[in-house]
Amino acid sequence: MAEKTVIDVQHVCKTYFMEGGTSQSVLKDINFQIKSGEFVAIMGPSGSGKSTLMNILGCLDKPTSGKYILEGYDIASKDDKELAVIRGKTIGFVFQNFNLMMKRTIADNVSLPLIYQKVGETERYNRAVEMLKKVNLIGYQDRPPSQISGGMQQRVAIARALINNPAIIFADEPTGNLDSKTSDEIMELFTFLNKQGITIVLVTHEDDVADYATRMIKISDGHKVYDGLRKEYSKEKEIKC
Amino acid sequence: MLTAIIKEAWISIASYKLRTFLTMLGIMIGVAAVVMMVSAGQAVQNRITDTFASMGSNLILIGPAELVTGGVRGGRGLPSVTVADVAALKTLKDVETTSYLMNAAVQAVYGSRNYGVSVKGTNPDYLAVNNWEIEDGIMFTEKDVRAAKPYAVIGQTVVDELFGLQNPIGKTIRLKGKPFTVIGTLREKGDGLMGDDQDNIILMPSTTVRQRLAGSPRPQYTGIAFVKATSEDKMELVAKRVEYMLRTRHRLKDGVKNDFTVRLMTEMVEKVRSVGFVLSALLAAIASISLIVGSIGIMNMMLVSVTERTREIGTRKALGAPNSWIMMQFLAESVLISFIGSFVGMVFGIAFSQLGGHLFGYEVPISIWSVIVSVTVAVVVGIVSGLMPALKAMRLNPIDALRYQ
Ligand SMILES: Nc1ncnc2c1ncn2[C@@H]1O[C@H](COP(=O)(O)OP(=O)(O)OP(=O)(O)O)[C@@H](O)[C@H]1O
Ligand SMILES: [Mg+2]
Repeated sequence: MAEKTVIDVQHVCKTYFMEGGTSQSVLKDINFQIKSGEFVAIMGPSGSGKSTLMNILGCLDKPTSGKYILEGYDIASKDDKELAVIRGKTIGFVFQNFNLMMKRTIADNVSLPLIYQKVGETERYNRAVEMLKKVNLIGYQDRPPSQISGGMQQRVAIARALINNPAIIFADEPTGNLDSKTSDEIMELFTFLNKQGITIVLVTHEDDVADYATRMIKISDGHKVYDGLRKEYSKEKEIKC
Repeated sequence: MLTAIIKEAWISIASYKLRTFLTMLGIMIGVAAVVMMVSAGQAVQNRITDTFASMGSNLILIGPAELVTGGVRGGRGLPSVTVADVAALKTLKDVETTSYLMNAAVQAVYGSRNYGVSVKGTNPDYLAVNNWEIEDGIMFTEKDVRAAKPYAVIGQTVVDELFGLQNPIGKTIRLKGKPFTVIGTLREKGDGLMGDDQDNIILMPSTTVRQRLAGSPRPQYTGIAFVKATSEDKMELVAKRVEYMLRTRHRLKDGVKNDFTVRLMTEMVEKVRSVGFVLSALLAAIASISLIVGSIGIMNMMLVSVTERTREIGTRKALGAPNSWIMMQFLAESVLISFIGSFVGMVFGIAFSQLGGHLFGYEVPISIWSVIVSVTVAVVVGIVSGLMPALKAMRLNPIDALRYQ
């Protein structure tokens, strides 16, 4: 494969230091690379450190030690302002509980990231309408999110993640709050976006959801225990530590 | 970018209407109170200044000496300045004119009506010295003074009380049973500084008062004498000359205290005005306590808002909001609240002070100070009370904010 590496995680460790002097080592020497256009599912038991890893990948947090290189930039050397720009332009976020602003219109929600790129009001609205078409929500732009179903809300959130044409989308349990039928719809949308060249990294507990991905990374107790094709995964292939 | 921030801030505060309104109310009341107090203070100060101006500001007043016994003021001494002294003072350099008063409080009678009035025996120059004008008829002349003519020039209150709608000119009124002919009326002046009625006045030749109303037991002395300087900046100089001349005429040896007092009207104006200023500053200071309460209200609301919207803040940061943007948005929210509150408060403050002025018969100025105070308050209160919540929002860790339930 001639695709370039967009995510390069080298010896990443993360330790949380809590009040009272105790600390908890959550990620232990994690290494992997993700190339442009991949569709990766991160799996693992509850509390294994998946969200912690996603936060680091999404530049919301920095590793305690080790290196994280995103699109050739060493994240450790970036200040808050530069990280905000990276989050706004290179990355799209999709959350488990959608995180929409319920008192605003759907168009306002979808176009929110554009505000921070200093895009004017009319263009924001037009691009929001355009993006809503892509996620199959034509004509919903002026309604509040409270009037639509959970699956549709997540599609609004995906439209919001897509609005800046990001290279990568990070989704932490995007189907965690949805029933299986709606989950399938969302995963088909992700597959569609992946086919268009967007790199997708998502966290999930569910095997059905993970099946949409081509590659799987499994974390257990802060260690990477599997990294390979999803369809080749079996419990026996996990590395024991 | 600023318009986008303000727009976002506006939408946010508009989505919590009741809470926003109640918070604004605090600032509204505060600003309205300050504006009203400042206006009231200014109205009183203006009234004071106007009153002195209507009395003539180039005036030097000469009265009896103050009696001092053992360092304690003990009232006034006997009148010491004579009519002849006053006439002599008129020859001094830079003196425009001089005048004097002999006062008597008597009951004036016309037909079946009667009214208690203040009679002032004086000379024709009194009009010029004290900024009086003749409304109708004429003023008596120096010749009338020499002849002690029984002429009366009456103020508007006396006109109203004794004559009603009748024309008073040429009519005869009685004071202490003696007849006096009304030859003129004075233009209305309105209330004086202490709420006294300046128009309840009858002017007569000083000689007439002395002879017919038997006011003073020492008839050649004046109660109070006025010297009007040609201009305000000559007053100090004229006062010195007056003092020198009176000391010479009264044959006072060096080291002997003056048997009269010399006061400048300008000094008195300044004194009263500075008291008025301190008073209105004090009122404004008290009113601004309600502003502090109002700004605590904003701070409280913004802190609640930041906590409630922790997730929103986390989401915005995850979607690329720089910290500065988050801070500015929350700051803009508090500044908007205080700006609108101040503006409405200013409008109400001005409206109420005009209404109050109308009710109490005061001319209340719409001063630039109300606007300056309101705008300053809006910005300062908005920033001061919004800064802490805005910094709190800015410092929120996006991970913690997104985990927040
Ligand atoms: N900000 C934090 N401060 C302290 N400890 C944390 C923090 N975030 C996570 N942890 C701890 O780190 C460990 C890993 O948490 P993490 O959320 O990454 O797990 P996860 O794999 O996403 O679990 P789940 O499947 O339940 O979402 C947990 O024990 C958690 O309590
Ligand atoms: Mg998690």
